[in-house]
Amino acid sequence: MEEFRKKCKGVIFIFCFTLLSLVLMSTFQGAEKAYGADKVETGKKVYQKYCIICHGNKGDGKGLVGIIHRVEKSGLVWTLFPRDFTVGVFKFRSTPTGCLPTDEDLLRIVSNGIPRSGMPSHEDVSLEDRKAVIEYIKTFSPRWQEEDPCEEIVSVKKPKWVGSPESIAKGKKVYKKMKCWECHGYEGKGDGPKSDKLKDDWGDKIIPFDFTSGALKRGSSPENVYITFNTGLDGTGMPSYEDSLKEEDRWHLVSYTLKLLGLAE
Amino acid sequence: MKKIMVFTVVVALLIPALSFARKAKYEVVEVNNGGGIQGTVKTSLKVKDPVVPINIQPKEDPKETEIERKTCGKTQQAGIYIVSPSNEVKNVLVIVEGVKKGKAAPKTDLTINNNKCRFEPLVSISYVKSNYIVKNSDPLFHNTSLGVLLKDKRRAVYNLALPYQNQEIKKRNRVAGLIDLKCDAHSWMRAYVYSSRHPYVTITDANGNYELKDLLPGKYTVRFWHEGFQEETKEVEVKAGKVSKLDVSFSKTRKPDFLGRL
Ligand code: HEC
Ligand code: HEC
Repeated sequence: MEEFRKKCKGVIFIFCFTLLSLVLMSTFQGAEKAYGADKVETGKKVYQKYCIICHGNKGDGKGLVGIIHRVEKSGLVWTLFPRDFTVGVFKFRSTPTGCLPTDEDLLRIVSNGIPRSGMPSHEDVSLEDRKAVIEYIKTFSPRWQEEDPCEEIVSVKKPKWVGSPESIAKGKKVYKKMKCWECHGYEGKGDGPKSDKLKDDWGDKIIPFDFTSGALKRGSSPENVYITFNTGLDGTGMPSYEDSLKEEDRWHLVSYTLKLLGLAE
Repeated sequence: MKKIMVFTVVVALLIPALSFARKAKYEVVEVNNGGGIQGTVKTSLKVKDPVVPINIQPKEDPKETEIERKTCGKTQQAGIYIVSPSNEVKNVLVIVEGVKKGKAAPKTDLTINNNKCRFEPLVSISYVKSNYIVKNSDPLFHNTSLGVLLKDKRRAVYNLALPYQNQEIKKRNRVAGLIDLKCDAHSWMRAYVYSSRHPYVTITDANGNYELKDLLPGKYTVRFWHEGFQEETKEVEVKAGKVSKLDVSFSKTRKPDFLGRL
């Protein structure tokens, strides 16, 4: 009997010890791993296969690729590097300036890629894997644990008249009044009076979008132009005009930029 | 034996619960017989405040170029080093770090004015959950970009366009930390806000003096931050009903980031 009790104690001790060490181990590996472990683990594998070459082992944008996009214009050179996820700043959000993006925002970016930046589309990767890799890139910045998500900018409903000659004419005035030309230039060529001094938060020179060439990074649709000047592109010089414009003027502005983009008469 | 087992299970359950709890929040309590910290910030160095050259690129409409040149001026006194004849330093942020418990922070809003192509004030304090009121007094485009300074990086807090004169935008302060302000249209513009959850932050006056009141007794770390000097941190003990003296002398300068952007 004594023998048995001793054994029992031993078993309980081992049980307690294993339980504690398991919990400690998982906690020190980060809370998300203790619970959503599978998804993050899968995400890590996806990341290592498709993203690490640009975004780097530590998610700091220092992959093997280095400079990925280079623009030369009127004697100046601009360069673009893969994004550093450790800061937790994102450009192509549907949420107001200063906020984290939604999962849908990230899924769209990962699926479609980013034109004019060298980030490829990942449509060929399974939806499940794309969702998993999103969970994994969230582990690079503590911001995802510390902050509550913001509300999306209210529904984007394009009026019928967007792109009409009257709306384009009105939009031209808005473009002038809102000083878009200070950066994007009078003809939208990205060569405004403030364009050559702009630097992004990563310390690199940044070029304002040239409406007359190339695709929008967010994807070329009227709705995407609308979202861009309302949310701003955090980390770049592109500010948020959410508090500066009336709803109707916003869509006139979209009409005018469609003209600059060569998407309207 | 049973006790050990219950204890282990409870601890095992508690550990992840604790790690899930968000970063320690500030606890508001009543402070009746608190203590204070008081002191003067000086420098042992002879420093010279630089003059910043201002360069306005011509615009299509010469009238607009003229307006901007007149509003911003040809040069600006940087205002980095405002040092009294007895070497006392103005505009030093004095921050009690990692305070877990104390008085409630004020609810006062902070107005940041874009005036004559400078931010006013240059150094200020804002409290989490109060508001930023960002104003443009100039007849030209400004944008106010706020970013919190992490170890060696900047994280966007807001980037607001202010395209016309007398525009005012109100935004809630959601992020604590040392916040740096930039205007992408005017590379020389800069300002600093300390965004705090607690009231134990202040700025030195023209005589380098500062005072912090109503702290719960205990040991604290105080950080002295200035854009043109290497920052200092000091330990201090606060005793009930007493004022502790804590002076600092800056002995190393530092080049503010905005000078590199010009
Ligand atoms: C060929 C290089 C390359 C590869 C591969 C790549 N990216 Fe990127 N990625 C970039 C660049 C460059 C940017 C920055 C674009 C910019 O700032 O305009 C970027 C930006 C991003 C952003 C930020 C979007 C925003 O809103 O700011 C996310 C998220 C992202 N990448 C996710 C991924 C994921 C996930 C993968 C792998 C499935 C991946 N990327 C693979 C180059 C790459
Ligand atoms: C202070 C300078 C500045 C001002 C003012 C400005 N922008 Fe931008 N904008 C930028 C920069 C810089 C980029 C490029 C960001 C990038 O490529 O990452 C940009 C990018 C864009 C894009 C492209 C986004 C994409 O998906 O590629 C659009 C659309 C845009 N701006 C619209 C506007 C409109 C409309 C206005 C006026 C209401 C405006 N901008 C005012 C600096 C500015």
